[in-house]
Amino acid sequence: MVFTSHVFLFYYLPLVLLIYYLLPRGRNAFLTAASYVFYGWWEPWFVLLMLASTILDFVCGGIIGNPASSPARRKSALLAAICGDLGLLAFFKYYTFTAENLNRLAGVFGMNALPALEVVLPIGISFYTFESLSYTIDVYRGTAKPARTFSDISCFVSLFPHLVAGPIVRYNVLAEQIARRDHTWEKFSYGVALFMAGFAKKILLANPMGAVADEIFGAASPRALEAWFGVTAYAFQIYFDFSGYSDMAIGLGRMFGFLIPINFASPYRSESITEFWRRWHISLSTWLRDYLYIPLGGNRRGSRRTYLNLALVMLLGGLWHGANWTFVAWGAYHGALLAFERWMGKTSAYWFLPLWGRRGVTFLLVLFSWVLFRAPDFAHAQRFFASLFGLGGDPNAGLLAGLVYSPYTLAVFALSAWFAFQKTEIYEWLDELTWPKAAVLAPAFAAAVAVMWTQAFNPFLYYQF
Amino acid sequence: MKSGWRQAQIGIFLAAIAVPPLVQTGIEVASGRTPQVLSLLRIRPSEANLRAFERELEEASWLAGPVRRAVQDAWWRGFGYAGDQVAAGRDGWLFYRQDVRYLVEPAGGDPPRDAWRAILDFRDQLAARGIALLVCPAPSKASIYPERLTRHAPRKVVSPTLDTLRRLREAGVETMDWFRLFQDARQRRSGEPHYLRLDTHWTAETARLAAEATGRRVLELGWLPGGMVDYHLRPVHVSRSGDLARMLGWEHPAVGLGRETVACHQVVRSDTGERYQDDPASPVLVLGDSFLQVFQADEPLAAGWIAQLARVLRRPVTSLVRNGGGATLVRQELSRRPALLTGKRVVIWEFAERDLRFGMEGWQRVTLPPAGPLPSAPIP
Amino acid sequence: MRALVAPMCLALAACATAPAPADPELSSLGKHEVTAELVEIPGPFPANDLYNYAFVFKYRVRQVHRGSVPAGEILVGHYNPRKARAAAADEESGKIGGRLEQFRAGDVHRMALEEPLDHHWIGGIIDKYFEQKGTRYWAVWTNPASR
Repeated sequence: MVFTSHVFLFYYLPLVLLIYYLLPRGRNAFLTAASYVFYGWWEPWFVLLMLASTILDFVCGGIIGNPASSPARRKSALLAAICGDLGLLAFFKYYTFTAENLNRLAGVFGMNALPALEVVLPIGISFYTFESLSYTIDVYRGTAKPARTFSDISCFVSLFPHLVAGPIVRYNVLAEQIARRDHTWEKFSYGVALFMAGFAKKILLANPMGAVADEIFGAASPRALEAWFGVTAYAFQIYFDFSGYSDMAIGLGRMFGFLIPINFASPYRSESITEFWRRWHISLSTWLRDYLYIPLGGNRRGSRRTYLNLALVMLLGGLWHGANWTFVAWGAYHGALLAFERWMGKTSAYWFLPLWGRRGVTFLLVLFSWVLFRAPDFAHAQRFFASLFGLGGDPNAGLLAGLVYSPYTLAVFALSAWFAFQKTEIYEWLDELTWPKAAVLAPAFAAAVAVMWTQAFNPFLYYQF
Repeated sequence: MKSGWRQAQIGIFLAAIAVPPLVQTGIEVASGRTPQVLSLLRIRPSEANLRAFERELEEASWLAGPVRRAVQDAWWRGFGYAGDQVAAGRDGWLFYRQDVRYLVEPAGGDPPRDAWRAILDFRDQLAARGIALLVCPAPSKASIYPERLTRHAPRKVVSPTLDTLRRLREAGVETMDWFRLFQDARQRRSGEPHYLRLDTHWTAETARLAAEATGRRVLELGWLPGGMVDYHLRPVHVSRSGDLARMLGWEHPAVGLGRETVACHQVVRSDTGERYQDDPASPVLVLGDSFLQVFQADEPLAAGWIAQLARVLRRPVTSLVRNGGGATLVRQELSRRPALLTGKRVVIWEFAERDLRFGMEGWQRVTLPPAGPLPSAPIP
Repeated sequence: MRALVAPMCLALAACATAPAPADPELSSLGKHEVTAELVEIPGPFPANDLYNYAFVFKYRVRQVHRGSVPAGEILVGHYNPRKARAAAADEESGKIGGRLEQFRAGDVHRMALEEPLDHHWIGGIIDKYFEQKGTRYWAVWTNPASR
């Protein structure tokens, strides 16, 4: 189910809230059941996959956390959980990609390495796999206690606000809250405000910018002006789409008494790529840091190893986003920039640039990365880069202007730019919820609902990852 | 914010999301219908059924429909934004976005492979019956009037269809180049535009121009002699509601924006004074889409491309027209009704150029039923 | 509050099972009247932005109420299937209608039919069964029927 849909907003949410608050006990079990409905709404059989993954982690977590288990048994259970979770992810997300590439390679020798299967990607599998993994690893490390009941862990994994597109929540963050949480007017009210804000971001900013980006990225070879407009519109789309989703997730969590961690902190105000990754998709970058970068040795094994670790982590981070070489290249690009910044240090000439200059350069570098991220293949990315530098050769390209420039799209673009470069994220702005703020939010939400009805099916970009 | 105010804010939010479905259910029950939402209990939970359920639920909403129209109206009036199907051009011109996409998106092969195969296959099947084929892609409005879409447009659009035409000619397929015809006509005549402002189609005079050139070409090729029926033209004006304007919901008389007056010339038989009518026994079969429908089957009738062609050929023709179906649907229909090919010598096949890439049902190869003996009788 | 919810659910469930009123259009329009199961929906419905199309569905005949329709599977064209039948009619379609809200494979419909399809509908026909020979019917009136 999509948060910004008629069925979610007017049927699912009121019904789930009503029943949840009417129940004197068994609220977690109800939330779990409701979350399975939410997830299965997309494709009902997907719930079996999530259930299988959850059972595996519950069993393995139990073995690992049992004081009577021998170290070898604990390690075996950890390995089983990692292999099981990553095996599911590998098959559903990467089988087709691997088969295509291996078969292409084997084709040189007239062979066929893997059979071609039509594997459907279950939405959100990358998110809940990482969450499940964090549970077993944390239990193994002793930083989390094993789940008391199956209901606890299934509630953690399936909790619908963060299920499909994050933020990626660790078990030890939610475990206590699953056992005991309070429901206050203040929490609920903040949740409502943040949900409305996220809803408005997605519908009023992300979707119109997405339409512009689709039009321009779909063109054979846009002119430079449209190419820059398109990639910037895409930068706004992905930011408001994903941060809007996170705001809604956090807001919905509050309505049910949960505190879900933030995921964005004004990333386009970053002064470097290193800072960008501290502000963008925070739950993923901290997950990669804690479960990949640090176990690889982090920055404690010399500078060369640090660069290698950074590159490797970002490469895998790119691959996490999708089974396509363009995502690998996107990760490699960010990894290379992170390594370069670390090598350059804090005393290089770059840091003598004025603040706006550093922000500008960082934003520009991020824009280039979005070309790789958005393009379906390298040939398309190459053409788009050529267009950015005025080397597009399509004589009809000027017509694109007629599709993408209108007072409406330009107004949304300007509004997006204003919001994207704000110092304060919306969740901070709402920390002190006042009547004037509520008075701004209410019409924005009403407008967003109205516009939602004009838009065709509009899932979030990160549903596909 | 004080606790009481917070409760009020929560109350307003909950009312906003709970009242519409309750009212919806009330309306449906009061009108004796089963609440739409309960259909969920009857469907098999598959992805397709659940998406359909969502769509139906939204479409049935008492609130969504009127609000949607109000938003679209506000977008247009406030921001000049015409939605995701229509692009607002300059001076009040509207364009179908797909027409423009056809010109700016990468070509799917030159010419698009499926189209290429289907056209050659159709030509060959007709040739086996002794029937000649003339292929006529209709230029989109954006191909002829790019500057009416945007001032950034090139002075002259290079439509990928031109390359398709060239390659078809190289493969021995007879084609009509209406692009050059219209562009030359634009240079000669600066008055009335050749395409309708609020519609995807050409004007009646442009249909006449295209039909005259096509008719002359058929006669020049010697595929059949000129007929013996005299027609003359009767000038009329019609007020036409543009298809693009209708997509924007402007057809409502109260809006009053969606109509334009078009000068037409109705084709009338000189001997009887009757409006032009098709003849199933004609040696000429015309296949096409809505470009042939406008002014012909629409008001004022008998003033579209088909009637104008008949006037030049001096004989009525047989026509098979399917709106939005010039690529495949019209050939499928012909395959269902092979009697239409009886006694035919010439097939003239028109389709909108965007169909080369976006044709409804793609470009399927359609097998015509086996032919009878080749026509040998002289054409009357 | 809880006291309110249960009666509301009961009332809604009662609505869901309420018998449908008789429909005179079904028994008066078209040459045939059948009850048939929609066996499959052979692909996504065509877009209906610029033009509306008829879309051919495969049905299995359960009962013939009027006229003569062969037993077994038949092919039936419905106009603009994206819309509920009550809202689908327009100038081009002529008189069509019914109470059916949406098309779902496995559902059973009671329909008034005409034949052949292309004598009653002269617009575009999306027929995924094009290669199959046989009559295409034109659905004039379509109501849901109990399984």
